[in-house]
Amino acid sequence: MFKVENLKFRYPKNKEDTINGINFDIAKGEIFGFLGPSGAGKSTTQMIMIKILENFEGSIYYNDKDITKFSDEFYEDIGVSFEMPIHFTKMTAMENIDFFLKLYKNKGDVESLMKRVNLWEDRDKMVGEYSKGMKIRLNIVRALLNNPNMLFLDEPTNGLDPMNAMILKDMIREFRDNGGTVFITSHIMSDIDQLCDRVAFIVEGRIIEMDSPRNLKIKYGKRSMTLEYKENGETTKVEFPLDSIGKNKEFLNLLQTKEIETLHSGETTLEDIFIKVTGVQLKDEE
Amino acid sequence: MKSRLWILVKGELQRLNKYNMTFISILVAFLWGVMLFFVNAEILGTLLPLVILLDATMMSLMYVGSVMYFEKSEATISTMLVTPVSNAELLLSKLLANTLHNMGASALLIAVFVIIKDVQVEYLFIIIGIIIATASHTLLGIVMAYFSKDFTGVLMTVMVFSLTMMTPLILLMLNIIEGEVWEVVLLINPIQAAKEVISAGFTGYVFTYKYYLSLGYLLFGSLALYKFYALPRFQDYAIKNSGV
Repeated sequence: MFKVENLKFRYPKNKEDTINGINFDIAKGEIFGFLGPSGAGKSTTQMIMIKILENFEGSIYYNDKDITKFSDEFYEDIGVSFEMPIHFTKMTAMENIDFFLKLYKNKGDVESLMKRVNLWEDRDKMVGEYSKGMKIRLNIVRALLNNPNMLFLDEPTNGLDPMNAMILKDMIREFRDNGGTVFITSHIMSDIDQLCDRVAFIVEGRIIEMDSPRNLKIKYGKRSMTLEYKENGETTKVEFPLDSIGKNKEFLNLLQTKEIETLHSGETTLEDIFIKVTGVQLKDEE
Repeated sequence: MKSRLWILVKGELQRLNKYNMTFISILVAFLWGVMLFFVNAEILGTLLPLVILLDATMMSLMYVGSVMYFEKSEATISTMLVTPVSNAELLLSKLLANTLHNMGASALLIAVFVIIKDVQVEYLFIIIGIIIATASHTLLGIVMAYFSKDFTGVLMTVMVFSLTMMTPLILLMLNIIEGEVWEVVLLINPIQAAKEVISAGFTGYVFTYKYYLSLGYLLFGSLALYKFYALPRFQDYAIKNSGV
């Protein structure tokens, strides 16, 4: 659906490229994540893909057509949610939504969207009176109100409480399950891990690694099994190699004879993999 | 494009109202009205065109500057950039809505004085004068907003511009600067040109080449400013102030 080839971009006042020749593609119906610290080039890449930033090098194709050849009608097909909640604060939520809705040919079901993000009851409140979480949820409604085929989400759950973050993630999955394609930029590991079919690690404008979270965990994970058991009132921890674990007599013996407290495979988290692959901490950037 | 432009214009007018600009505009017109109500007919004949001029020029710069400041502070322009709306539609809608809005106060003032003080106006020429003066200064205000970083910046730019441009006009009115050469040279000043086209709307104005020169200057100058500067620079302005 999207194909990015050797993309390079430099801001006019910068001496160095912010994006350094990246390549990736996004398949239809895929949730593709861009993971990296602040300043890595995530949002810049998104701004180029949604045709806000121009004068880039390389090629970007949307449905096999060069995006520079699209007119403003391109925006009939996509939905964008920026990281910062952006609304007219002295207007009500519905006044905001109604105004934007009129600009599109394709109009979504606003009532069900607003109900889904628990904003229907507060639809006639001034957006200036909304909490940050409510404004972020309204951002999502705004992004979905034209029934887009492609959704761009910049740090979608940043600032949301766990309950609303879960609702939002469910909505993103449903959007994908109904045939939609999603591009997410985030530095929040759990979002990427839970949502994305594939993820690219981006640091200093370069893609360092790209694969599904599962494959990355297999590739970089520690192939081991850690078992904790209780003996004489004390907890003992033992680690076994995962290969041929079913034939490991010591492991099987412990399972049969001891009071097992925990049993974990040595699966590495995406965060550990990110640090291992890029040498960059994500959380420092939050 | 036509219907979408109208949606954008209506949206701009709605926001002007929500952000209290309509109230302020009517309040200013009311204060001018009260002041003019108590002056005698002779002074009214001089002051009313001047008040209309101030409203169409300085106040237009101020209103559009304020509106664009609000837009900057809320970074709403970024959301507009990802809709199927073109930059030309966005810019034109601002120009049309602010021109319509600012013309309202002038129209109100004139209507009141026509009714209660029997002021004589040439309707066609006063309408042309107010439209062209307001639209050209609204466009100037939009361009000034490109360079203003904050609200103080907006105020400073408008004040410096107005002071610089009003001074020769006042000097000319007080006959401190005299002569036809100056009268023509100073038409390069958009406020002076606006004064000429607005004055044509009041009975007693004598039409000379200066009227057509002023009208052409404001009209073609604005078209050139729109086509060669305001529109090409709009995307840069929008990205800088999009907050993303």
